[in-house]
Amino acid sequence: MSGSSNTENRKVGSLRELPQSIEPPHDLWPRIEAQLGEIPHEAGAAGKSPQQRRALRARWLAAAAMVACVAVGVWIGRSLLPGVSGGGSPPTSAQNGGHEGRSLAPLVPRQVYVSDPRYEHQRADLVRDLQARLAALSPPERAKVTTSLEAIEKAKKDLEEALGHDPGNALLQELLVNTYQDEMRVLTDVHEASDPGRGI
Amino acid sequence: MADAQAEDTRVDWEGALVQRARSGDRRAFERLYREHAGRVYGLCLRMTRDAQLAEDCTQETFINAWRALGKFETRSSLSTWLHRIAVNVSLARRRKTGPVEPSPEEEEGIASEWTLETPVEVHEIESAIAALPEGARDALVLHALYGYSHGEAAHMLGIAEGTCKAQLHRARALLRARLGVEVS
Repeated sequence: MSGSSNTENRKVGSLRELPQSIEPPHDLWPRIEAQLGEIPHEAGAAGKSPQQRRALRARWLAAAAMVACVAVGVWIGRSLLPGVSGGGSPPTSAQNGGHEGRSLAPLVPRQVYVSDPRYEHQRADLVRDLQARLAALSPPERAKVTTSLEAIEKAKKDLEEALGHDPGNALLQELLVNTYQDEMRVLTDVHEASDPGRGI
Repeated sequence: MADAQAEDTRVDWEGALVQRARSGDRRAFERLYREHAGRVYGLCLRMTRDAQLAEDCTQETFINAWRALGKFETRSSLSTWLHRIAVNVSLARRRKTGPVEPSPEEEEGIASEWTLETPVEVHEIESAIAALPEGARDALVLHALYGYSHGEAAHMLGIAEGTCKAQLHRARALLRARLGVEVS
C-alpha cells in the first residue's frame, strides 16, 4: 500500500493501529468535478432529506394558514369597512421606519388589510432580523433577495394605491393577499437560508 | 470530553457542508471530498489491491454520493455512508474483473481485537492483508481496520452475518500463517 516509508516501517501490535486513511497518489477532485458538471443537480425539495421535506411542508402549511387568515381579514375589512382606506396614500419608506436607500423595508402591512395578529407577529419576527440575515448571505444571494423584496414592495404599494381608489375591488384584494404571501415566502426563505450551511 | 466536543463540531460543520452541497454548491462538496477522500481511497485500495482501480472507485464513490446526497440522512455518519457507497462500487468493479470468491468455511472462534502476538511492520501486515482472498479481505478490512461490527460489515458486503464471521475466521488463520504470529 502507498504511504511514507516511516509509516510503513512502523511496527504495530494490532490491526486497528493501521492507518484508515491513505491519500490517493493523485488529486482526484478535478476529474470528479468535471463529471459533476454533467449531472443535473436535484433542486429544491427534491434534493432535501425526508425530514427537511416534512419540515418544509409544515412551514408552508403554517404560512398558508396565516395567509388564509389575512385573506379573511382583508375580506371582512373590505366588506365591513369599505371606506376606511379610501383615498389613503400607500405607505412610504419613511412611514415604515425610514429604512435606508432602496427600500427593503416595508414591511408594515396596513391594519385595514391585515388583521390577523399571528400573521403580524410572525412577519414582525422575520422582518426584525432581516438585515442581519441578509448579511449572512453571499452577495449574489443577497442581491436576489433584495431584488425580490423590492419588487414585492412596489407591487404592494401599487395595489394599495389602486385599492385606495377602488376599495371594493375583489381582484385587487386577492392580488394584494397573494403579494403578502410572496413576501412571507421570501422572508421565510431568507430566514432559513441564512442558517449555517444553507443557501437560497 | 474534548474529543466528543471536537467530534460534535466536526459533525456540525460537516452537516452544514452537506446542506450546501445539496443545494448544488460544489465548493462545499469539494471540502467534503478533501475530508473523506483518504478514508474512501484507503478502503477502495484495500478492497481492490489496485491503485488505479482504487482511484476509479474513489472517483465513482464521490460522484454517486453527489447524485444521492438528497437521500443522505444528516443525523447519520457521512463517513459510514460514503464507505457503504465505496464498498458497493468496489464490489461491482471487482465483479466485472475479478474471480468468483469460493465459499467461506464454517465459523469457529472470531478474533475481536485483532491483536498481534508480537508487533509487525505496517507494510508487512498490509502485504499480508492484500494477499488474502477477496471475501476474507473485505470482511477483515471493514471489521478489523475500520471498526464496523459483524452485522454492519455483513450488511455493507451484502452477505449474511455468519458468512462474515466465517470470512473473518478464515482471514485470521491466513494472517497467522503468513505473518508467523498469533492474531487474537
